[in-house]
Amino acid sequence: MTQSPTLSRRSSSSSSPPLPRKSRQRGADARAGYTFLLPWLLGFIALTVGPMISSLYLSFTNYNLFEPPKWIGLDNYTTLFQDERFLQSVGVTLSYVVFGTPLKLAAALAVAMLLNSKRKGQGFYRSAFYAPSLIGASVSIAIVWKAMFGDSGPVDQGLSFFGINLGGWVGNPSMTMPMMILLTVWQFGAPMVIFLAGLKQIPADLYEAASMDGAGPVRKFFNITWPMLSPVIFFNLLMETIHAFQIFASAYIISNGEGGPAGSTLFYTLYLYLRGFSDFRMGYASAMAWLLVVVVGIITLIFFKTSKSWVHYSGDSK
Amino acid sequence: MISRRNFLTTVALGTASAAALAACGSPAPAQTGSAANPVTINYTWWGNDDRATRTRKAIALFESKNPDIKVNGNFTDFAGYWQKRATEAAGGGLPDVMQWDLSYLRDYGQRNQLLDLGTVKIDTSGFDKSLLPSGQIKGKTYGIPTSTNAFAVYYDPAKLKSLGVSEPDGSWTYDEYKSWLKEVGAKGNGTIFGSTDFTGIWWQFNIWLRQNNIEAFTEDGKLGFSKDDLKTWWNMASDLRGTPALVSEERATQLAPKSPFGSNVTVAENTWDNFMAGYLADSGAKELKIVPVPSDDPDNLGLFLKPSMLMVASAKTKFKDASARFIDFMINDPEVGQIFKTSRGVPASKTQRDGTTFEGTDKIVVDYEKSIEKYLKDAPEPPIVGFGTLEASFKRISSDLNFGKLTVDSAADAWFKEAEDLIKQNA
Repeated sequence: MTQSPTLSRRSSSSSSPPLPRKSRQRGADARAGYTFLLPWLLGFIALTVGPMISSLYLSFTNYNLFEPPKWIGLDNYTTLFQDERFLQSVGVTLSYVVFGTPLKLAAALAVAMLLNSKRKGQGFYRSAFYAPSLIGASVSIAIVWKAMFGDSGPVDQGLSFFGINLGGWVGNPSMTMPMMILLTVWQFGAPMVIFLAGLKQIPADLYEAASMDGAGPVRKFFNITWPMLSPVIFFNLLMETIHAFQIFASAYIISNGEGGPAGSTLFYTLYLYLRGFSDFRMGYASAMAWLLVVVVGIITLIFFKTSKSWVHYSGDSK
Repeated sequence: MISRRNFLTTVALGTASAAALAACGSPAPAQTGSAANPVTINYTWWGNDDRATRTRKAIALFESKNPDIKVNGNFTDFAGYWQKRATEAAGGGLPDVMQWDLSYLRDYGQRNQLLDLGTVKIDTSGFDKSLLPSGQIKGKTYGIPTSTNAFAVYYDPAKLKSLGVSEPDGSWTYDEYKSWLKEVGAKGNGTIFGSTDFTGIWWQFNIWLRQNNIEAFTEDGKLGFSKDDLKTWWNMASDLRGTPALVSEERATQLAPKSPFGSNVTVAENTWDNFMAGYLADSGAKELKIVPVPSDDPDNLGLFLKPSMLMVASAKTKFKDASARFIDFMINDPEVGQIFKTSRGVPASKTQRDGTTFEGTDKIVVDYEKSIEKYLKDAPEPPIVGFGTLEASFKRISSDLNFGKLTVDSAADAWFKEAEDLIKQNA
């Protein structure tokens, strides 16, 4: 949380009783500030912090929603690692994150670079490429996706035209993951817009100078675009990775809330949900949720540590 | 003069006291309503559009006969239904009256979420005495059956005719049943299949256990069958899996939530006899027939009448009287019987059953339940706590078996592990 500087100043000055007039004024400002913040703070404490703390407590209990929770210590956490479906859900989620996120970012960056140059109808193309990410997270798109990749759906028919007979992807355990990844790659609009903004920041004279020195497009990309854009790439990579771990709605819709076929779309959050709301094992589900928080936290930390070697901020001496 | 600080305090205090006053001011909702000032109760059910239309008709009829009560109706599909109820129960906001399934009666009844209907006025004089206990746990009535259903094998006579396969007469062994499925699959040319894997259906397994004089659950809530029983059962379809006798799991997954039978992909399906109306609507077939399930013992078909659904009320309802009147109406009124026919099952109360005319396909269902009368055994008690989860995992693991992800042995191990874990959890 960002702590207001006024607050710390006030608390430090409270040790010296005779308050200067200016400081008193600041204190009043802080109070007013917090009063205006109050609705948000109340919401944050009641709807986010409170539930998180109670879920941390529940993760050490056996809780079925109806009866008071029973303290069982670390049992939920230890049984997790003997639960084959849990391990399966970890595998499914990791492969989605590892393959889906880089592909999505690559698509976003490629399109952003295409859209960066001034062309006719630029506005239209930007909107067109951004549109899927506006509607992509919705229930209706998941339903459309399911129909498109079903038996004799457009994808099946299109591929058979080229002699590739895969049948419907929805029912085939080895094809559901590519289908889910395509769905997320298609929604590259949000990182694309951020890339586009980043690309605009790169001074054109750098490219001009490189051209003068005879650098080709590949050289320019790796020696100018990539390092200059690296803070934006880092931001997008971080956000999209965290986002990918949280995939739920589309998997829920496409698999009818079961994670099938053969557990191939049993994403972490979907299994968490099934454990909590189908099996009434809220303690177990809470343990899963906290494990996810910790793992995503560690991954974020690793990203930050490694970022020093490849992310360049302007004004850096490196 | 009011300083800024005082001003804010005043505003805050003012808002708080206004809120407190508002809380005191609203009168506690009346227990009973009147035509001018009716009470509103919430009712929820699962089902397809067909059931929704019928239910809305019944609600309109109830409201016209009871102007002091308004019913606010709401529905979802079966799987989502239970997830929604779990969330509501956790928040203490279950609807006043709900359509219920036997599988979940213990989960909610034993945990004090449902109203003891013995404490309110509901007429059950028209009920068969052997049926009511299925809605009771330890002397308390948590649910009253609306109707009964029995397990059966459905088939589509028109499709059989076009394939040149003879219709079954309903007295058959598992071997005869299987070779019939194989014949259908062989003649179906890769477009029509026999059935879905019948060994993946919990109730069909339960019936087979009963045919072998085994109860699925013991009285103290443990498993009544062994891992070997389950292996024998799943092995029964080993020679059919992967052949056109059974529709592939890939195909079935794509058709979900519609069934392969309702999608005209198979000629047969083993399920409850009250699915007739739904299947007819889904498949568009003119006529579907039902026969008893196969059994290797011709005198023991393992069949029983199960409450196809129950009516329950929330333990926290503020409108016990209105809820009781609505339940009474839904289970006893002959006009409600006319609206639903056999789509909920055969009406359980005599007044409703006698007041309903069954023709055509509805007559097929009623006649079927009459024809198996002499084989019927007692309805099973409400299944163990967490049964809904077990039923779902039975289906899931059997589907993994069909995908070839598991062998029969590893599938039985997986299911037993989950079942034992669940029983331990809820002990």
